[in-house]
Amino acid sequence: MLTTRAWSCSAEPGYKVTVTNPTDAELVASCLAGTRESFDTLVERHQRHVYQLCYRFVGNHEDASDLAQDVFIRAYRGLRTFKGQASLGTWLYRIGVNVCLNKVGAKTPKPQSLDLLLAASDQRIASQAESAPDALLRGERAERVRAAIARLPKKQRATLILRVYHELPHEEIAGLLGSSVGAVKANFFHALNNLKKLMGEAGSDR
Amino acid sequence: MTTHLSESEFVDLAEDALDPRRAAHAETCAACRDQADTLRAALRGTAAVDVPEPSPLFWAYLSARVHEEVAGEPVAAGAGRLWTGTGGLVPLAAAAAMVVAVFSGVLLVRAVRGGGNAVPLVAEHAGAPAPATPDGSSEVAPDAVNAEVWAVLTAAASGVKFEDAHAAGMHVHPGTLDHAVQDLTAAERTELGRLLQSELKRSSN
Repeated sequence: MLTTRAWSCSAEPGYKVTVTNPTDAELVASCLAGTRESFDTLVERHQRHVYQLCYRFVGNHEDASDLAQDVFIRAYRGLRTFKGQASLGTWLYRIGVNVCLNKVGAKTPKPQSLDLLLAASDQRIASQAESAPDALLRGERAERVRAAIARLPKKQRATLILRVYHELPHEEIAGLLGSSVGAVKANFFHALNNLKKLMGEAGSDR
Repeated sequence: MTTHLSESEFVDLAEDALDPRRAAHAETCAACRDQADTLRAALRGTAAVDVPEPSPLFWAYLSARVHEEVAGEPVAAGAGRLWTGTGGLVPLAAAAAMVVAVFSGVLLVRAVRGGGNAVPLVAEHAGAPAPATPDGSSEVAPDAVNAEVWAVLTAAASGVKFEDAHAAGMHVHPGTLDHAVQDLTAAERTELGRLLQSELKRSSN
């Protein structure tokens, strides 16, 4: 049985809606007690962050999707080892980083498909009233940055992604990567320097 | 002349977290200033890149894929897992509290029925004497105490948080206690009676 938290809905006087909103810890406990559906809820809750983490590593939707799936399967298999000392999100990050570092290596990312690029441009145009040329330029620049990130050495890449896009503190990144805070900062320093160089190379190629 | 900034300090400077005294060095040192500008520019350029939002249908698709894969896995069972949440002692404390509550409840029943006198833990059922056990002590007649026991134990256990008990691996629902009492063997009931009597003697002293 899971704890429920109830909110009153003021849409209709006297009408009360009760929404079951179990915590991650409760869902984990429920899953360990044999309720597989609880894991579905955990997936729904965390899939966006996990997918985005994977996407940052590989730079394309197809691989990110496969990696995100792999992260959740590993999480399910290792659910018993989740001690609750960190949040489930952090624990999933840890698995995600390991999966990405192990599977991706230093391989050059596949270029994003034209359809997705155009779809992303369309979204920006619609949401920000951005002109089509501006959107395309922005899309190209983003592609160059993603490609440059994917060429960084593993630990630099992981550090950069976790720090810049997931805004994790240096201490937490150190914990995730099994490094010292000093090493994390040094990796971040070199990642940014290398990124600048790679972007310069990419720019001069054009 | 102060020393140039270290790699770690450059990172702190780019994130506006460097000690102002050290940051002042970058104001006067051209090499450090250039390096700091490079890091800041790279940071800005990197941070501006979003992950393209996939199709809204993708999330359901990903969930379904994971669901299918997980369905082929053995259940991620963790029977008897006590260490959920932060601080593994909390569930243990809950378990202990639940035991104390149950024990207190039984004592209460006994006190109510016995009027506070140290009578043996024997319950009558419709005037019929309780059957004797091989060692001569009497058995508890569960039917006679079920209703009272359940009512008192519910009240006694009400202070225990369900989450803590659940986290401790205790899955209690109405009827559990009734069944537990009924399922006791004669020897177990005798032992329970002995324990309760000794507890009553101890508390009355």
